[in-house]
Amino acid sequence: MPWWFLPLLMALMVGLLCPATGTLLVTQRRLLQSNLISHAVLPGLAVALALGLDPALGGVLSGVLGALVAERLQRRDGRSHEAVINTVLAGFLGLGVLLIPLLNLRLDLEAVLFGDLLAVGSSDLLRTLIAAASLLLLVVCSYRSLVYLGVDPDGAAAVGLPVRGLRLALAFVTALVVVSAMAAVGVVLVIALLCAPVLPGLHRVTSLRAAMLRSSLVGMALSGAGFALALLLNLPPGPLIGVACLGLLLPGSRIR
Amino acid sequence: MGETTPKRPALMQLPAARSVALEADHLRAQDLCFAYEGKQALDHVSLTLVPGSLTALVGANGAGKSTLLHLLQGQLMPTAGSVWLGEQPILRCRPRVALMPQRGRIDWGFPITVWEMVALGQVQAPRSICCDVDAALQRVGLEALAGRRLDALSGGQQQRTLLARALMQPARVLLLDEPCAAIDPPARQQLLRLMRQLADAGYSLLVSSHDWGEALDVYDRVLVLDRRLLADGTPAQVRGALTALTDMGNHACG
Repeated sequence: MPWWFLPLLMALMVGLLCPATGTLLVTQRRLLQSNLISHAVLPGLAVALALGLDPALGGVLSGVLGALVAERLQRRDGRSHEAVINTVLAGFLGLGVLLIPLLNLRLDLEAVLFGDLLAVGSSDLLRTLIAAASLLLLVVCSYRSLVYLGVDPDGAAAVGLPVRGLRLALAFVTALVVVSAMAAVGVVLVIALLCAPVLPGLHRVTSLRAAMLRSSLVGMALSGAGFALALLLNLPPGPLIGVACLGLLLPGSRIR
Repeated sequence: MGETTPKRPALMQLPAARSVALEADHLRAQDLCFAYEGKQALDHVSLTLVPGSLTALVGANGAGKSTLLHLLQGQLMPTAGSVWLGEQPILRCRPRVALMPQRGRIDWGFPITVWEMVALGQVQAPRSICCDVDAALQRVGLEALAGRRLDALSGGQQQRTLLARALMQPARVLLLDEPCAAIDPPARQQLLRLMRQLADAGYSLLVSSHDWGEALDVYDRVLVLDRRLLADGTPAQVRGALTALTDMGNHACG
């Protein structure tokens, strides 16, 4: 197996998985929350490392915890949701950065934040497969409920769909996806792969299923091309994929 | 999807044992109160909706119309009072009361076809509802647009899509939150005609509106709400009460 095979496979899988999840997040208006989750994985990651556990496990738990804390703090009357979410994001990120020296960890913060695709191993691949399975499970079990919740959240509550449960499940899947994509693009840059591939064509497809499929294909192409270009130019792949995501939005902006 | 069904769609037929079915479909609210952020939004509102009636719920913005509809559907819990459908408390039979939300609450850009949107009316039911969806679409005159995206429809067509979705629910009571807001007059006429037909077919409809001009005449009954029920009667009876309320009369624009 050539040395570039595993990183390329990882880039393609993350390129498929992130936009598929991102399609759900965009259509459920959960992007801000998912950005919070992606930053909130850090403290759990640090604690799990200190305890000698799998860092991904800690990351998922603290990501979901961050989302729950934000939801709790939003419930006070009259508070801006965006302000609360961004404050919790900064708080968790800060805590994570503080924990690294406090717990005496040897953790490459730059790799966590921006990815280190060339250093991925088979455990990263396994995490990605677990995240993909959880996404598949959520979509297969709750497809129509997710559609209802996306198009008409009030109506979904009115007919008795488990709105809170669905959103919690989505937060959980998001945390899994973020943690698995961490190795490839990092927790900061993952937001680009969650968003950008979703947008071209979202206003044309006629089902959520088609939107997910389409964004996955776009994401895979983007991620694979970004990786190849990074090798060619001898640049870090994560940031390059982030920039490529921005490039994806530019052509459409003149037409509409 | 465009072909016509030979018989009247099953979901539009009245139950055979009419009197029994109608009793069970009376929606009653008793002394409903609701406070929000310490302010009294609704104050001892009582009403009964009977099948076959088209009732308007009018009042200024902030009069509590939307709150009342959500209470009647069991989506909000009253601080005092209760809501019953027949002999059952509303929380036991929420699917039997359909709430058609305000259009501003819907994400019209969501990737979904008209057909799939209407099918969501039976989101918890097993599949094989195709005939019902086609029938509901036909009922509101949208069968030709079944494959379109929601954002390719006009405002009036979008409202009829929501109505068709409500018809998919096992509900005989329809609560419509400002269905005529922000759509053009011909579309509004069409929607009102449709609501009239549904009432004549045995549904009970409660339609909120902040339009209390000429349009009120199509309704059987009008409720005037300003945190409490100010008037309840036929359009002619209520018009007197409305003009007496000078501050509300100023809003009248037909």
